[in-house]
Amino acid sequence: MRTFILRRLIYAIPTLIGVSIITFAIVRLSPGDPIRLYTFGARDITNEDIEALRRVYGLDKAMPLQYIDWLSRVVRLDFGQSFIYHKDAGSLILEILPNTLQLAVVSLVLQILIGVPLGVVAALKRGSWVDGLVRVFGVAGHAIPAFWLGLVLIIVFAVQLRLLPSQGMLTVGRDQWDLFDRLKHMLLPAFVLSLTGIANYSRILRTETLDVLGQDFVRTAHAKGLRERTVVFVHALRNALIPVVTALGGILAALVGGALVVETVFSWPGIGRFTFAAAIAKDYPIIQAGTMIASVLLVVSYLLRDIAYAVVDPRIKVR
Amino acid sequence: MAVFAASVLVATACGQGGPSASQEPAASASAAASEKPQDGGRVIEATISDIATMQPILVNDTASGRVTGLLYDVLIQVDAKTGEPKPNLATFSVSQDGLTYTFEINAKANWSDGKPVIAQDYLTGVQAVGKSAKTVRKSSYQDVQGFNDYKDGKAQTIEGIKIDSSNPKKFTVTMAKVSCPALLDIANTYRILPTHVFGKYLTATSKPEDIDNAPENTNPQVVDGPFTFSEWRKGDQVILKKNPNYWNGAPHLDEYVYKVVANTAAVTAGLKTGEITFGTIAARDLADMQTVDSVKITKYPSLGYTFIGWDTQSNVAGVALADKRVRQALAYGLDMDAVIKAVVFNEAVAHVAHHVAVQWAYPQDTSALNPYKFDKAKAQSLLTEAGWVKGADGILAKDGKKFTLTISTNSGNTERETLAQVAADQYKQLGIDAKAAPEAFQGLVTKLTSGDKTLDATIIGWSLGSEPDPYQIWHSSQIPDPAKNVTGFGFTYFKDPAMDKAIEEGRNPSNGDCSLAARRKNYDTFNKVLNEQQPYNFGYVPNVLAVSSKTLQNFNPAPFSTVYNVQDWWIKK
Amino acid sequence: MATTTATLRGTVADTLVRPSRSLWSNAWWKLRHDRLTIAAFCMLALLVALSLAADLFADNVFNYSFSRQDLLHTYEKPTFSNLAYLLGTDEIGRSQVVRLLYGGRVSLGVGFVAALVNLTIGVTVGLAAGYFRGLVDDVFTLFVTTLNSIPTLFLLLIIAAIWQPGPFTLTVVIGALFWTGISLFTRGQTFALREREFVVAAKTIGARDRRIMFRHILPNILPLIFVLAAIDIGAIILAESALSFLGLGILPPTPSWGNMLTGATQYFVRAPFLVYPPGVMIFLTVLSLYLIGDGLRDALDPRIRG
Repeated sequence: MRTFILRRLIYAIPTLIGVSIITFAIVRLSPGDPIRLYTFGARDITNEDIEALRRVYGLDKAMPLQYIDWLSRVVRLDFGQSFIYHKDAGSLILEILPNTLQLAVVSLVLQILIGVPLGVVAALKRGSWVDGLVRVFGVAGHAIPAFWLGLVLIIVFAVQLRLLPSQGMLTVGRDQWDLFDRLKHMLLPAFVLSLTGIANYSRILRTETLDVLGQDFVRTAHAKGLRERTVVFVHALRNALIPVVTALGGILAALVGGALVVETVFSWPGIGRFTFAAAIAKDYPIIQAGTMIASVLLVVSYLLRDIAYAVVDPRIKVR
Repeated sequence: MAVFAASVLVATACGQGGPSASQEPAASASAAASEKPQDGGRVIEATISDIATMQPILVNDTASGRVTGLLYDVLIQVDAKTGEPKPNLATFSVSQDGLTYTFEINAKANWSDGKPVIAQDYLTGVQAVGKSAKTVRKSSYQDVQGFNDYKDGKAQTIEGIKIDSSNPKKFTVTMAKVSCPALLDIANTYRILPTHVFGKYLTATSKPEDIDNAPENTNPQVVDGPFTFSEWRKGDQVILKKNPNYWNGAPHLDEYVYKVVANTAAVTAGLKTGEITFGTIAARDLADMQTVDSVKITKYPSLGYTFIGWDTQSNVAGVALADKRVRQALAYGLDMDAVIKAVVFNEAVAHVAHHVAVQWAYPQDTSALNPYKFDKAKAQSLLTEAGWVKGADGILAKDGKKFTLTISTNSGNTERETLAQVAADQYKQLGIDAKAAPEAFQGLVTKLTSGDKTLDATIIGWSLGSEPDPYQIWHSSQIPDPAKNVTGFGFTYFKDPAMDKAIEEGRNPSNGDCSLAARRKNYDTFNKVLNEQQPYNFGYVPNVLAVSSKTLQNFNPAPFSTVYNVQDWWIKK
Repeated sequence: MATTTATLRGTVADTLVRPSRSLWSNAWWKLRHDRLTIAAFCMLALLVALSLAADLFADNVFNYSFSRQDLLHTYEKPTFSNLAYLLGTDEIGRSQVVRLLYGGRVSLGVGFVAALVNLTIGVTVGLAAGYFRGLVDDVFTLFVTTLNSIPTLFLLLIIAAIWQPGPFTLTVVIGALFWTGISLFTRGQTFALREREFVVAAKTIGARDRRIMFRHILPNILPLIFVLAAIDIGAIILAESALSFLGLGILPPTPSWGNMLTGATQYFVRAPFLVYPPGVMIFLTVLSLYLIGDGLRDALDPRIRG
């Protein structure tokens, strides 16, 4: 197992270098001048002042040198000074990262808590209206634009019914650890974020459960007089775990990508919204740090998925 | 959208005027003033963008300006209603020749840790600007004697700043030349830093990073404003607590929270539910807000205007726009009252010159300004006079060239996008082939200031500061010229010798007279030239619609400052 | 978006035979009896027809052009008494229903064009990697792994925010970001197929690589690629709408379903009725495409159950 993890970690290195090149190129080759944008409107600022600032941020060097410069510092976890915040971009992102992670975790839990039972029930009641509904939802859940659903939920639950807050992470003045308040704020964004996951899981679980129900050992168990619920839970769910774990990677990718949109709609102070705001303001170090850290997250979650996969499915040989 | 932080062109430094004593509290008192203020409570102000820093010398955005303004006090403030400079943390006087300013810091003025605010602290602030590599404020001190030498490392002291040897609270600042904006530049921009905190970053051997990356920049513990810093949750809120030792009397409020929300719609929603104590709303939400009983709405003209800038040398419409008569026709031909009704629901006033009415520099005799009342016939006759006649297709043409006009504006700003479309619509009726084109703000900025001449007309806005000096926007030296690598805000390419002279005299008067009356005379000339020449269609001055909870007392925002009397605010329970 | 395609694709069979008449006719027979898929086809056809006929409707039914403003009638509530106000008017009095029709053109257009880009890149690269293996495949794998390690939508939004591309460039960029799924699938199929008799046979008679790839292998996987393409168009339309909503995709005055919502968020207190229709249109379009993709796959591949 250890060698397996080690191997995967080593494989991750060229991937991350690739990510760094793509990120760097996309950011640094983009049109427009960040320093000019940043100093825009500063009273009586001179061209010399602007050139001096360019030197401070190392933007006066040739592009490949800038890349090497940046990469060699990123390796030491120094992502460079944000143009706007005058602070290390990496530490800024890490400061905000927990906000995104908690949203992602709650949304992942929602996906499994809602998606798995939906799929199992649909399979057990195959052909019924419940089954039909779950099947339609399995597709429809992917087709709803998340930002729009967020708007509609805000209109209904926050503006009209006034049941839930429309935005933010905490009621002002509440303690950071007021979990109930936090959960109230999280409910709508986490639900919107989990929608595709719920659809996915209900779909996978339905297929898997049907598959398992049709297999010999289940029929045998049935014949032995075991109750259906026991059969389903013991056998079906165990087998279904594999696709659940497999789907995890894609779902995490969607979480990180989708978080940007959802965070914007609900003004959730996460890294997606933060990086996006930095992109609008052309704050290079933050855009680069945000993209790199999002990618590292994804690579790590792929890795975790593979490990979990190896643990759950004994058929996979750990090399 | 919250993320479009840079949606307003900001022309001047963040001298929005700091919090300060109102010397005569009665002046700003409302009916509630007779009641005895209750201590305690919290104010939650809504903002669309988060702060970036709490280091005054690094501040370069409105949000950070607001919070640093509550933390650090200024020497000189401007009157919240008129914009005229007046003493705050210090009293001031100017020498006969206009070159030397003498300041004396209030005897009661202390830092939040009990140490007195002294002249050395002023020097520390100026040194910080000189040392810093990241500040964009160096030019504020360019005319202070010896500052440039200090900045370039040629001197260890700033020759022009002298501390009185007998009174540690008294000092003088000597300028190399007379500069009228200097007073606010050197004394109104929150740059007094506690020497016992920041002094260690400003020794002879300190590097620029020392001050630029100082931990106190994001966690200021020693301040001299009405509030002290408690916590900054990035992207979410900044929490300030009252400064019980505030020199000008401790605030009644316990806490001031600066809360980030998604957009103006969220501000409106938060005000309705009471999640937010005060904030400014968009005009389109006013009607809705008026139905809410729990809020008070305060309207006042904003310190800025939204305009259409004509590129008189544009590659497309430049030929037409170079002609004064055409520009005037475009002023007469746009029904600004209808536009204001459509775009900002009547919450604006049509504008025809550079300075806005609340500024002291605005002409007192407004009859000197042509109001350009909507007059389609006049517009058409001016166009005809300029040689533009309608062709068979109904489009104006001259010498075989059609009059096409693309009106650009920054995308994401619905108000301006609407304005662009409405304006294009109206100009079409004059026979101009006009269309609206939204474009990203960054792209617009780069094109405008670099002088690429691909934009015919651009709708943006100026947010003006306390200092009315229009040099950076209108002086001919500010016209961008890519050939000479000159950038600037002179994107209309319009210049006029009389206007240049007036700007120069208002900024660096040859007789050294910086009195408001003397400067106003120059600005009268300046505004008259612009009014006549119309390099912009000066658009309108929108109203600021400040909405506050009715529980918040003594909240009286004014064009030059919202929080000038923050220590008098209190929450009625 | 990655999820959708990833999991919907996950179960595609890895065994395939050369398409024969019986497969096609079998599939056709199945499709004809799949009422849900037929409904989805009809819905999509209707949406396409409506947006293609936008001019016709604007001129003859609503008598209102998509750019026409009426400042005296802003935020009109939906009403039947004036057809142009069927779905209300927006902040400058433009007809919401007319803009909805035109918005369909943009959304569908971007979807189809970007999918074409994505198909072209994905199939070509996937075929090459699967066919040549070795170094080509290694480079391919590294590149795809890298690209898949950056969250697609995140990357797309960042690119859109800092490059601010025009509509056409944006479409190409979207296509170029969504190709990895199709190319991985193509590569896997090619891998399996290149060992099959008919490919080996073609090789022995000296057919050129390109001919084998495009004449022998491609036709075998094409049907299932169409399935993926249908799903991708859906995912692309969703991505485009999110971009436009954030003010980065198609910019007004050109209406798109996404950018019609940019404005709507600002006034949803005043005019919530402006929020619902564009979202419903996006939903219906994407849902139809996904259902068609699902139905096609079920019909083409007997092993799969929905």
